[in-house]
Amino acid sequence: MNTFRLIIQTVDGQVLDASVQQLICRTIEGDVAIMAGHCNYCTAIGMGQARITMEDGTTRTGVCIGGMISMHEGECRLLPTTWEWAAEIDIARAQEAKRLAEHQLSKPELSEEERAHETARLQRAEIRLSIASLSQQKR
Amino acid sequence: MAGSMKEIKLRIKSVESTMQITKAMELVASSKLRKAKERAENSRPYFTTLSNTLADITENNTEFTSPYTRVRPVHRTCYVVIAGDRGLAGGYNSNVFKMVTAAAAEKEAYMIPVGKKALEFAARIKKPVLSHQFELAGNTSVSDCFAMAKILCQGFLEGDFDEVVIAYTNFISMLRQESALLPVLPLKKQEDFRGNTDAGASGVQTPKKAGSLILYEPDSETVFNTIVPEYVAGLIYGALCESVASELAARRTAMDSASKNAAEMIETLNLNYNRARQAAITQEITEIIGGTTG
Repeated sequence: MNTFRLIIQTVDGQVLDASVQQLICRTIEGDVAIMAGHCNYCTAIGMGQARITMEDGTTRTGVCIGGMISMHEGECRLLPTTWEWAAEIDIARAQEAKRLAEHQLSKPELSEEERAHETARLQRAEIRLSIASLSQQKR
Repeated sequence: MAGSMKEIKLRIKSVESTMQITKAMELVASSKLRKAKERAENSRPYFTTLSNTLADITENNTEFTSPYTRVRPVHRTCYVVIAGDRGLAGGYNSNVFKMVTAAAAEKEAYMIPVGKKALEFAARIKKPVLSHQFELAGNTSVSDCFAMAKILCQGFLEGDFDEVVIAYTNFISMLRQESALLPVLPLKKQEDFRGNTDAGASGVQTPKKAGSLILYEPDSETVFNTIVPEYVAGLIYGALCESVASELAARRTAMDSASKNAAEMIETLNLNYNRARQAAITQEITEIIGGTTG
């Protein structure tokens, strides 16, 4: 199968620079799959799972939140705000974040801004947990 | 004479203990500096790509407008002042403050101070502080930068201020750091893009170059407006990394020269001490000789 170069960079440095067959990730418009020969393309990233089919056919998954993706002249750059490989998700921490966010959201005196902040936190924690449990089932 | 000898001895002791502290601070700064430099370098490629994408969008879309690029007459400016939490870093803090004072003195300005010293500075020049959230520069993380970017973008869009500027320190080399002002919002458009809008306004559309055709989903403006807050956060984070590295480098240099000065002082004081000691001995001998012959 044809491959293309995928570079994943975050603020903390480079996560991946490799030849891959396919990348699926969640953008603000829904899931997109990118394969070799895709036209020049650019969009912003939402919150969700990213699946990468590596050159040898193995699949790696990760949590991919915020940022942007661009495909330019056959080279794909994924610049998420946060990226975590499924295997590296700290489940205890995500559960703690979820519990905290739920606790905060149950308070009625929350301002609108705080509510939005906590909802986003809850969403992030839930995505982390669901991806972590998915990857554990596969094993 | 014995009194002055004791005084000098005490002085030597105190300078020695000061030197121990300055030496320790120098060592701590240089070990932290390596990490800070790495952090600054790691974050760079991410923002270069982000800013290139934004530039591409403005360059290739002739009918492009975004509230983030709209230049308004400047009534109020918001300064993000990045300084340290502690002093003893040479001119690191005061250089940034001098620059901001010169730029903001006559204007109506808001401040977002990052670092304890910056907070004190904002209180001193009596400018309203927009957020106290980022009091400790050492603890400011990526997510804090995103929170700050959100405040800035929101304030800018709602017209609370017409301009956002970051005051930080550029890390040029281990021995050289320069304070700088970085305008963030409104985003500067490319020169040729401005030319294109003018042409568009007069009804004559002249596509300058075919450019690379890029598919934006759902459209270039939405993508642009979604990326801008991230980009602003990126700029802040980049400036913060540079500043932290600068602070450590400045502290290292300052502490190095302080240790050297202390060593020099100890040397002179030792010389004085020996002189006083010798004078005391000579006096005693003279007294004894005077006693026997007399």
